[in-house]
Amino acid sequence: MDTNHNRPHYINPYLGGVLLGLLVLLTVYITGRGLGASGAVKSTVVTTAKIITPAKAEHNAYMKKFISPDHSPMYNWLIFESLGIFFGGLLSGILFGRVKKFRIEKSPKITNKTRLLAALAGGILFGIGSQFGRGCTSGAALSGSATFAFGGVLVMLAIFGTGYILAWFFRKLWI
Amino acid sequence: MKEELFASGRHIPHIDPYLNIWHWPIALYLFLGGLAAGILFFAGYFVVKGKEKEMPATVKWATIIAPLALVIGLSALFYDLHHKLYFWRLYTTIRLSSPMSWGAWTLMVITPLSFVWVASYMKEMFPKWDWKLEILNKFERWVIKNRVPFAWIMMILSIILGVYTGILLSAFNARPLWNTSILGPLFLTSGLSTGLAAIMWISKSEQERKVISRIDLILILVELFLIIHLFMGFLAGTAVKQEAAALFLGGEFTVTFWVFVVILGLAFPATLEALELRGYHVPKWLPPFLILFGGLAFRFIMVEAGQITRFLY
Amino acid sequence: MGPLIPNGIINGDWSFVIALLIGIAFGFLLEASGFSSSRNITGVFYGYNFVVLRVFFTAVIVAMVGLLYFDYFGWLDLSKIFILPTFLKPMLLGGVIMGLGFIIGGFCPGTSYTAIAIGKLDGLFFAIGLFIGIYIFALAFPLFKDFYYSDNMGHVTLTDVTGIPAPWFAAGFTVIALAAFWITMVIEKRVRKNFTEYKF
Repeated sequence: MDTNHNRPHYINPYLGGVLLGLLVLLTVYITGRGLGASGAVKSTVVTTAKIITPAKAEHNAYMKKFISPDHSPMYNWLIFESLGIFFGGLLSGILFGRVKKFRIEKSPKITNKTRLLAALAGGILFGIGSQFGRGCTSGAALSGSATFAFGGVLVMLAIFGTGYILAWFFRKLWI
Repeated sequence: MKEELFASGRHIPHIDPYLNIWHWPIALYLFLGGLAAGILFFAGYFVVKGKEKEMPATVKWATIIAPLALVIGLSALFYDLHHKLYFWRLYTTIRLSSPMSWGAWTLMVITPLSFVWVASYMKEMFPKWDWKLEILNKFERWVIKNRVPFAWIMMILSIILGVYTGILLSAFNARPLWNTSILGPLFLTSGLSTGLAAIMWISKSEQERKVISRIDLILILVELFLIIHLFMGFLAGTAVKQEAAALFLGGEFTVTFWVFVVILGLAFPATLEALELRGYHVPKWLPPFLILFGGLAFRFIMVEAGQITRFLY
Repeated sequence: MGPLIPNGIINGDWSFVIALLIGIAFGFLLEASGFSSSRNITGVFYGYNFVVLRVFFTAVIVAMVGLLYFDYFGWLDLSKIFILPTFLKPMLLGGVIMGLGFIIGGFCPGTSYTAIAIGKLDGLFFAIGLFIGIYIFALAFPLFKDFYYSDNMGHVTLTDVTGIPAPWFAAGFTVIALAAFWITMVIEKRVRKNFTEYKF
């Protein structure tokens, strides 16, 4: 295997898209709903809160929706799917020679610290936004749009629209 | 003090409706026993084959784990006993029909043997090592001279140990999930595979890892084959057996078993090993970690699930 | 016939095992398409890499058309599948916040998991951020509870809202996507000419 690539080796985006679309279709066909990702973090948050501050978690108007006496919030479809995302990504990374030591990817114009803080801030915003949006790019925008849900298309347009409007202000982070 | 008597049959307390007396120490013990058996078997095997030089981690370094695993495993087992002071009574008798007797005697020999094995390599591993006493040095020379016979004994005993970790459960005929003769070879295979995983994790030689992971790949395939046979056997069996299998095929243990044991503990690491053998860069610790985790999960699930399965009234 | 699990054709106890397998395929496709790299992803906003647009639009079209076919052949009962509910204003706000998070963080949740898998610390920080963000949201929830549940339109589809049949949307989407593929291809070529330090 040639591991010394000058450029990263990715699959054709249209092929990736077709396969991803078929996967969404298969997922809907089997489970009756689409893919997701942010829900797994939500379950983790609820579980953590339940362990550290059980009383608070059960009285929290938001978290108590996801607490059931039968089983842990970790016993959740999206948790197992997200575990799969991690291992699937790992498998692809190994096949294409991208699994390496820990590293930070960033524009050469910013420091590592800036990049990590930006990633953290972006994550916080995405976390908050995904709760209002009833799902993230996978759950709402991709699976929602694919199932013709009005809300899904709405979220997709809002995410990418905002991205384009604000892109100029954050260009230093990327280019 | 509350006690539980083990005998084959149902007309004793704590057996029906379900057994709830075997917990994590047993699962941990079965895992560590299998791990030690795996490490010791391959240490012996490569010495007998005369490949000591090529396989340093297998023959020397990894074997340090074996006595530790056996001691921790036996401590867990001892912790689980109610009549701790009477454990020596196992050694007042030899009962060929009892797996516990077999196990007790095997452990009695293989545990000190594993210590001796590691000790005989101490000087090679740590050049500054000194036994201080002349008698120990003499003993060491004698062991080194007779290493091949030692290796043979160790191989045979470790197979008995590996099989015994499964037979311990399968001889318990009041539990349909356990009472299958495939459990012995299955636990042996799984034990050998976890042993190889530990060796792979430790080994620094590319060549050695290749040999080890090739054997491991075969063992994982055998293990998957045995698991399929286990369920085929159950499904072709009586209603109680079918009910036991149902726990894994659309019941309480379906998720834990298929996710953590079969997919992430066997199929995924096997794929990674196959990729690694074909020259892809795989993080060295990853397949062994998954295999060991899967092996541990497997013991926990078998011990827990087995206690729930029962005969119909 | 379908959906298989809600209709009881596959026992529900298998659903998490299937979740893992679907997740593995999902993660593989995300990573293989290049979504484990935040600079690939944000390229869509600066015109130097439109991989997100290509993968995303193609996937949506394939899934949309596929669902229509499955429905047409009677393989899938569309009335039984989950339709994302619409809460107009809260979801618009959510989308805007996510857009901001997207342009700052460079990942979305699913892609950050694959970034962690190949060893990227920025992906890890993004995921930690997600955790903190959702925690903050849950703690502050009483403050905007009414807003969160406002504008509830129910589980509505595009057809319910506009009255236009679903196939028209699939067709319209395909036309838009094909146009976008062509336009972005032209843009990408031009922008890439001026790029030196970024490898594609």
